[in-house]
Amino acid sequence: MVVHMSQSSAPASVSSLDQHGQAETAQEIVSLDAVSFGYSRKRLVLQDLNLSIQQGEFLTLLGPSGCGKSTILNLIAGFYKPLAGLVTHGGEEVKGPSARRGVVFQSNALFDWMTVEQNIGFGFRFQSLSKYEKRQRVDTIIGLVGLRGNERKYPYQLSGGMRQRVAVARSMVVQPEILLMDEPFAAVDVQTREGLQEELLKLHEQVAGAILFVTHSIEEAVFLSDRIVILDRNLGGIAHDIKIHLPDPRYTAMNRVSDAFNQYRTDLYLKMKAIG
Amino acid sequence: MQLKVSKQDGVPAFKVQDLQTQALREKAVLFCVAIAIPAIILILWETTTRMGWIDELFLPSLSGIVTEFLAMTRKGYAGTPVLTHVIGSLRRVFTAFGIGTIVGLLLGLLMGYYKYVRAAFYVVTEILRPIPPLAFITLFILWFGIGEVSKILIILYAGALIVMLNTMAGVQSCPKDKILAARTLGANDLAIFLYVILPAALPSIFTGMRVALSVDFGILVAAELLAGDIGIGYIIQDASVFFNVEALFVGILMIGFFGVLSDFLLRVIASKVVHWQG
Repeated sequence: MVVHMSQSSAPASVSSLDQHGQAETAQEIVSLDAVSFGYSRKRLVLQDLNLSIQQGEFLTLLGPSGCGKSTILNLIAGFYKPLAGLVTHGGEEVKGPSARRGVVFQSNALFDWMTVEQNIGFGFRFQSLSKYEKRQRVDTIIGLVGLRGNERKYPYQLSGGMRQRVAVARSMVVQPEILLMDEPFAAVDVQTREGLQEELLKLHEQVAGAILFVTHSIEEAVFLSDRIVILDRNLGGIAHDIKIHLPDPRYTAMNRVSDAFNQYRTDLYLKMKAIG
Repeated sequence: MQLKVSKQDGVPAFKVQDLQTQALREKAVLFCVAIAIPAIILILWETTTRMGWIDELFLPSLSGIVTEFLAMTRKGYAGTPVLTHVIGSLRRVFTAFGIGTIVGLLLGLLMGYYKYVRAAFYVVTEILRPIPPLAFITLFILWFGIGEVSKILIILYAGALIVMLNTMAGVQSCPKDKILAARTLGANDLAIFLYVILPAALPSIFTGMRVALSVDFGILVAAELLAGDIGIGYIIQDASVFFNVEALFVGILMIGFFGVLSDFLLRVIASKVVHWQG
């Protein structure tokens, strides 16, 4: 116990350097430049927001309700168009949804009429891969998210947690450059949620893409993220931009109870409280 | 240790089997209740008519109806075998239902998917919707003659309108997030239509088909009452004219039987196709 504690608190920055060795040279994958958005010009949700997401990074948006977290995600997904400013992905303007940007919805948005296998393989219908390759990849990810044995089941035969696993696998299997997740685990119980978080971190290691995650939970944000952005109330933009350094492997349960984790949590809690 | 275990065994255990037999017993009771009322009605019917408490002209006895039915199967009705009457009616209703479903489905899909098609048809359907199809029946006879065509067309029209409206509603009710999810997985418009919107609309489509089929049977009888010399509706009409109340009841019960049977078949098909619903 003591050994773990000392390991997790002191050399945190060292081990995080191992994982993010190229952090300084990492390329920007998605950026928002002076983006404003609202349902009308008089009632803006975002104003002149600048945000940049690095390749392979796990970035979480935190902030009070209505601060525009989900709006940012929808703008990057291409579901919304900015009123002003520019959203770019790989240097190109985002003009609509694309398979290069995956989305996991809170409602899981599974196709009820397709089996687990068919749901996960859906994105491959539109890719020119060999049949063998497609099967192989679907099979691999089914193993990774712990859905083995459920391949032929339909979503209504699964628990809420299992359904969300299918949704994550379906988006991840086509290897998007960035995966956008809007409170994906909000509707499942705490134990299932922890399992899902750990699997997500493992998947993130396997699939190199960046992840933009939206949540209300500080604990969830600290456990998952490389970086946390806290948004301010009333079009205030980015209030805080914090790097999280926890020891590898990130998914170990120790990272939920370590001193370092608790420090981050306290710090974020106070920052959120200050925003109100 | 041993003692403790046996003591625990003494406590009335929560047995799964008990729950299962309880559920089974409840089902059996519900089944009995469901068939008790019709059984009582049938018994009352038979006793009151047999005892002569009710005039045979108002209500024939059950056994009389059965005898009439058996006689009909042997001799036919109005010189035509009963089977010919039945097949004639079923062919009309299923031809009209089949074509009507296809027409309604295509129109409904287009109206649900393209807002311009919806706008184009909006006023017409809103005007036609509240008008009972039977109101058009003499008009149809005037336009298309007194033969098969006008009968089938009036049934077809009634069913197609219902299937169309339900299909349109089904397409429009497709959850937005499923469409967006498909798009972020690389699906184009056609793929989204085929793999997402159409399956999402299937439950509504089947609901529409079931309603349409029951309405079609109603229209069938009305259309056959008005004209023709073959069909179950014709038997009903002809028997009424000659006060053959037994034959009248045979006709009514045959329509009921085939209506229930075809609805049952459609429901079985629906539960197989849209298995994810309920």
